[in-house]
Amino acid sequence: MNLGPTSGLRLRTKLLLLALTTLTLPWAGCQYAKEMESVLRANEQQSLLAVASTIAASLQGRRELLYRTGAAKQSRTAGPLDIEPIVMTATPVLDGIADEWPSDSRNTKVLEKSDGDSLRLLTTTRDRWLYGLAIVRDNKLVFDRSDVTPLDSATLGDRLWLAFDDPRGGQQRVFLSASGPGALRGRRIETREYGREEVVDELRVEGAWRVLRDGYAIEFRIPLSMIGQHFGVLIDDRDRRGGVRSSLGTLDPAELTATGLLIAASPDLSDRLQQFAQPGVELQVASRTGATLARLEAPALPQDYTAMRGLLPRLYRRFLDGDRIPRRTSDAERERLSRELVATASAGKATTALTAGRYENRVIVTAAVPIFDNDRQQVIGVLQLAQTADRWLTLRDRALTRLLNLTLLATGLAVLATFWFAGRLALRIARLRAASESALTREGRLAVDLPETNAPDELGDLSRSFDALLRRLNGYTGYLRTLAGKLAHEIRTPLTIVRSSLDNLEHEPLSADATTYVARARHGAERLNGILLAMGAATRVEEAIANSERVEFDLGDVVRSAVDAYASAFSARRFTLEQPDGSCRLRGSPDLIVQMLDKLIDNAVDFSANGDTIIVRLLADPTGARLEVENPGPLLPDTRDSLFESLWQSRQGTDARPHFGLGLYIVRLIADFHGGYARAANLPDHSGVRLSVTLARTSD
Amino acid sequence: MKKQIAIVEDEPAIRDNYAAAFAREGYAVRTFANRREAMTAFATRLPDLAVIDISLEHEPEGGFDLCRDLRSLSPELPIIFLTARDSELDAVSGLRLGADDFLTKDLSLGHLIARVNALFRRVDALRRPTEDQQIIRRGALTIDAERMAVEWQGQVVLLSLTEFWIVHALGKHPGHVKNRQQLMDAANVVLDDNTITSHVKRIRRKFQVIDPSFDAIQTVYGMGYRWVE
Repeated sequence: MNLGPTSGLRLRTKLLLLALTTLTLPWAGCQYAKEMESVLRANEQQSLLAVASTIAASLQGRRELLYRTGAAKQSRTAGPLDIEPIVMTATPVLDGIADEWPSDSRNTKVLEKSDGDSLRLLTTTRDRWLYGLAIVRDNKLVFDRSDVTPLDSATLGDRLWLAFDDPRGGQQRVFLSASGPGALRGRRIETREYGREEVVDELRVEGAWRVLRDGYAIEFRIPLSMIGQHFGVLIDDRDRRGGVRSSLGTLDPAELTATGLLIAASPDLSDRLQQFAQPGVELQVASRTGATLARLEAPALPQDYTAMRGLLPRLYRRFLDGDRIPRRTSDAERERLSRELVATASAGKATTALTAGRYENRVIVTAAVPIFDNDRQQVIGVLQLAQTADRWLTLRDRALTRLLNLTLLATGLAVLATFWFAGRLALRIARLRAASESALTREGRLAVDLPETNAPDELGDLSRSFDALLRRLNGYTGYLRTLAGKLAHEIRTPLTIVRSSLDNLEHEPLSADATTYVARARHGAERLNGILLAMGAATRVEEAIANSERVEFDLGDVVRSAVDAYASAFSARRFTLEQPDGSCRLRGSPDLIVQMLDKLIDNAVDFSANGDTIIVRLLADPTGARLEVENPGPLLPDTRDSLFESLWQSRQGTDARPHFGLGLYIVRLIADFHGGYARAANLPDHSGVRLSVTLARTSD
Repeated sequence: MKKQIAIVEDEPAIRDNYAAAFAREGYAVRTFANRREAMTAFATRLPDLAVIDISLEHEPEGGFDLCRDLRSLSPELPIIFLTARDSELDAVSGLRLGADDFLTKDLSLGHLIARVNALFRRVDALRRPTEDQQIIRRGALTIDAERMAVEWQGQVVLLSLTEFWIVHALGKHPGHVKNRQQLMDAANVVLDDNTITSHVKRIRRKFQVIDPSFDAIQTVYGMGYRWVE
């Protein structure tokens, strides 16, 4: 079967490729999801800004909340001695170890002396306390002597001074000194009557002293309520007990008075902010300079808003987010962004920013809005709201994952359906092709019914067209086939006129010449009659075959009897019969078999010369039998299979009888009737020709 | 009185040639071109023998109808069908309608006249007492050559003229193989092999109607047939 050109795309492949275009569905879905996501994000940012603005409005003009009492009276810009503690998220343990302290450039003050000693002061607030950590690099640490009074200047070692004005305006000084590392209390010098000075423990100030490799660290805390507007810290460094002190700090070393501001929120601010707390939202109030005044940690997010896990969602997200959503933000970058936010808000403009990576790489959206003074002109602080973007991302991811899963499923189904459809289509076309290839036998008979003629689609149309075409062709070949018979019939009447006239003429007195002419005319008429008989022969055989009954008979007996007859009928040829021992039973029509043999022998006699031997061979096998007739003589033309077709004649016989090539066609018809076929071949030694007919044992 | 033959044939040349031949043989001939003319004439006077073409002018099967009508007028009237067709079906139909013979037009005039003579002989013989010497008996077979009648196991086998001559040729010399040519000569016909085969087949079937086990006519493949007792 010819499969046609195999290069190029087959129908199935084409349709499959076509089905793959459904993959644009997920792409469109992604675009949609991106749109949805940006709308969601804009909404989220807007609503965050709105919330922030509301909170900021409630803080409008509340300087006393933002800043500790009196602190807000002055509005000068930050000075170098100002202390800006940040708000701590956890209460530090007073142990002199800095590990739980946040490191933020805003709350760290570094002071250095020319001899390499330095002071690093960190401050934070937490729950109405001011915490401080002084990390001192000192080439020589000197403790107090334990047995001396603290007022004896000859016995003094290194110490830390805290100076501040109390809320009533008086100056207060507390110092922290120790005779060894460990916990310690603040002490105060009080002047009693007669100018007598006395050292009193200040119980509200606690601390701890820890010795470091190149110095020491003092961690301390002091209630914010003790401190007024100014606050300062000073280190007295001595290289030996009672030696000359060398001071380092934010206090005036001579007077020990604080000139730097303590910029910290009122303790009430946290309580105030508390009422705005909501899950997943972090609140922070900062001063215009960026110092954190209060911070409210985000309560835990409901589980629903955690990011979706799993390979597919992650894959989708990576594919979708691209560069628009930050995946990781470095600490420096985050600080820079934060500064920018505060600076923008301080200038009076609300703004938002996206960062990532703080909590398990989650995306954080931050809104910063200014808190105005009552006149709505001056900015007194900045409110920042931060919230993870997981809410919309999760919504988007969930929608997207579902969408992508569905479209992938749909694509898969579409591919499968298309494949199935294409396969079916190809199969139907293949069936149609196979049927149309074998629809017409070589004699032009319509052999099979075309499939699909009932199909309502285009293939059905095609099949019906084929069918109509084949039927028309069949009609035409049928006409051609019966033409000879019809022609013979039509010619017979005029021929009868001629012959009967000649018959009558013989009874009339004729001259000798006329008798000759009559004889010639009769000869011609007889030849014409022979031609007519030959022309109608195929039709008669077809009729005889149609009326034949199948009986069981012994092919050997029939062939033997027939060959005996040929020997006497064609005395100029010798006949040799080769047949197997035993019987060769066959179901069929012995009359037809003999007729077939007649034709084969006629053919063999026609193409052989006098004295030649014609071999008739019978071969039997379980499925049937084979008859072979061999004659010496001219070889077959190349178109040997056409020998058995109607009206084929390319060999020149040795006699003058009319040849319509019907003899071997009749052989084929009879072989067909017996479920077999006829073949022609040259003998291996090219001495002649062998015609063979295979017959099936049963052909019903 | 001359015996009268009716020729019903729509082809004038053939009709006149046949008429001339029969006239030469001493028969009175009436010719008709179609069924209507023929039936009108037959209503007043029946011929002694009718030669009928199957297709008459516009009636492709007019001859069959005419045969049926004629047979209803006279059961014994010899009828011969003549046709340009040679299909089996036509022959079977014609003979079933009670025709005595069915011939194709390529039969020579001589052969045709021989048949007509034979049929007349049979009609005459039927009117005379049976002469024993004309009767051939071969077992269950009885052939009355004069009346052209055949009996098998005492029952009459209705045969056409051609069939009778074939049975006669075979039965006269049981055991002798008669080839097709010999059978054709005996039956005064020129037929091809298939027609002989189907004649023999038809003869066997007619005998088998009386005796289902009939197998006295044996085929000798490639040669012909013989009668076995």
